[in-house]
Amino acid sequence: MALVLHAGTGNKNAFKALITAEYSGVNVELVKNFEMGVSNKTPEFLKMNPLGKVPVLETPDGPVFESNAIARYVARLKADNPLYGCSLIEYAHIEQWIDFATTEIDQGIARWFYPRTGYMPYLPPAEEAAIAALKRSLGALNTHLANNTYLVGHSITLADIIMTCNLYLGFVRVMTKSFTSEFPHVERYFWTMVNQPNVHKVVGEVKQAESVFPVQSQKKPAQPKEPAKPKEAKKEAKKEAPKEAAKPKAEAVAEDEEEAPKPKAKNPLDLLPPSKMILDEWKRLYSNTKTNFREVAIGGFWEMYDPEGYSLWFCDYKYNDENTVSFVTLNKVSGFLQRMDLARKYAFGKMLVIGSEPPYKVKGLWLFRGKEIPQFVLDECYDMELYEWTKVDITDEAQKERVNAMIEDQEPFEGQALLDAKCFK
Amino acid sequence: MALVLHSGSTNKNTFKVLVAAEYCGVNVELVKNFKMGVSNKTPEFLKMNPLGKVPVLETPDGPIFESNAISRYVARLNADNPIYGTSLIEYAHIEQWIDFATTEIDLNISRWFYPRAGYSPYIPQAEEAAISLLKRALGALNSHLATNTYLVGHGITLADIIMTCNLYLGFIRLMTKSFTSEFPHVERYFWSMVNQPNFSKVMGKVEQTPYVQPLQSQRNPQSKPKQLKKEIKKYLVKESS
Repeated sequence: MALVLHAGTGNKNAFKALITAEYSGVNVELVKNFEMGVSNKTPEFLKMNPLGKVPVLETPDGPVFESNAIARYVARLKADNPLYGCSLIEYAHIEQWIDFATTEIDQGIARWFYPRTGYMPYLPPAEEAAIAALKRSLGALNTHLANNTYLVGHSITLADIIMTCNLYLGFVRVMTKSFTSEFPHVERYFWTMVNQPNVHKVVGEVKQAESVFPVQSQKKPAQPKEPAKPKEAKKEAKKEAPKEAAKPKAEAVAEDEEEAPKPKAKNPLDLLPPSKMILDEWKRLYSNTKTNFREVAIGGFWEMYDPEGYSLWFCDYKYNDENTVSFVTLNKVSGFLQRMDLARKYAFGKMLVIGSEPPYKVKGLWLFRGKEIPQFVLDECYDMELYEWTKVDITDEAQKERVNAMIEDQEPFEGQALLDAKCFK
Repeated sequence: MALVLHSGSTNKNTFKVLVAAEYCGVNVELVKNFKMGVSNKTPEFLKMNPLGKVPVLETPDGPIFESNAISRYVARLNADNPIYGTSLIEYAHIEQWIDFATTEIDLNISRWFYPRAGYSPYIPQAEEAAISLLKRALGALNSHLATNTYLVGHGITLADIIMTCNLYLGFIRLMTKSFTSEFPHVERYFWSMVNQPNFSKVMGKVEQTPYVQPLQSQRNPQSKPKQLKKEIKKYLVKESS
């Protein structure tokens, strides 16, 4: 009799059990008509797993939850299963890599991906930390795989199955080719694994994400009890997300975060009267102008600029005397720009690091939607309070010229060389 | 010969291994003069664990990292060890609760604690989310423990050791009496576990924190960005779970 696995299709945690079953010749079947957010909320389901999370395996001896535990159970059903190693130290290494796949790889990917789906608060500094931690873990994995084909020993073990399923979510959602190319051994490993017949049979064709999953900021959060809604959100997301990637999303998300997050309010800036200036058009003009910048880009800017719908601000770092080390100063500015990610739709900025020797001055120019600096930026990006902010008076030609110089990275700027100029667009 | 464990002596992940060793009669010794941030940065250490995280166990067959994997190894050294269960379904349930202790309990305690301790950026919304997920997990654990003395079967297993060590960080740093009183079966369970002789030998006397770990000031805007960078770095070397 087949063991019954409760989970939706396309769930990477269900893949773990299904792939293990393929390798071990154990019969595991997905339950019929499973509906995420409904089937896992029934009293019968909650009796099997009090958290209501999937997957859960029904066995003749009762239910088992937690996907790694299920995969281990399935592997053990075959006596002396080579997937489980053949010595104490092999067991230990298999378990070490299973835990690494869970606490390092999966956690990093989850903390990057789930907030972007709109099911959890999206917080740029938290994402930054998650990505940094993930890179560090992938680096360690890359080093290990530089001279090991598989994680443990000379063939596929349970550790490879679990690692591959965890990497899978990253590869299809957030880790683009340009991100993974830093970890060539991980790439080689992942593609070898997903092309193994037993893995391919369960997972199907795997396609690497072409873009990082876009932040679903304005979407209504999906209510687990009304599975229609995520579909709506998905439709809207399709514009940005690769089509074929849109499908397994609901399951993947719901699997870990069925608990509805707080609804995200509409950004008040979206409620402003429409402006003739389209920020993206300006950003494109800025990026695409290669020659005659002053006339084409800056001329174009002032043609587009709508003082009713936008405002320009100079910023001046308050603690320039602390900027004694060049790369620290540059990192500070890069960090600021990363944290401004939340304002991508509503802002354009130039940040100049000025001077040829320390202490460096940090000055910038920002274009914001609305006549004031948006409140949510002041609230959520702490860097804002590290700068003096002065609204640009565009009737003053000298100030206008300073705007031009900053957009253009004009050098010398106010009599000094530029160490760097960064753009937020 | 004793197995050598590389880690600091008050690390809850170290406790997992040492308590398991007590139960199994295996000889595990902490390495001498371990200094976090120094000893785990040496090339020799990074060869044992490329992430530089602790604990790492040195065995005659080479090193093992990840605290749960080490504890399992130690438990297996003693054949037919009852702390590892006695049937396939017992193994499965023990592993299920080990994973629950890791992904539901430890993860959310860490997300609550480390930002407050200043190891990673403190973001109130993120903390709120972590606390609500932790409560949900403790609620599920509480219902399981309402009718079970131990997590699996009728004696202490490896799942209890790992769960207790993970709860320990919460009890001593964040989860005050008024927080835990919502989960009376978890309270009963935790206190009866830490008072087992094999536990108290390793952990000493455990006292519940009277207050939530205060925020380490990241308030001074002047020093914020530098501090934050440093903290993110520190966060990245935080001990492995």
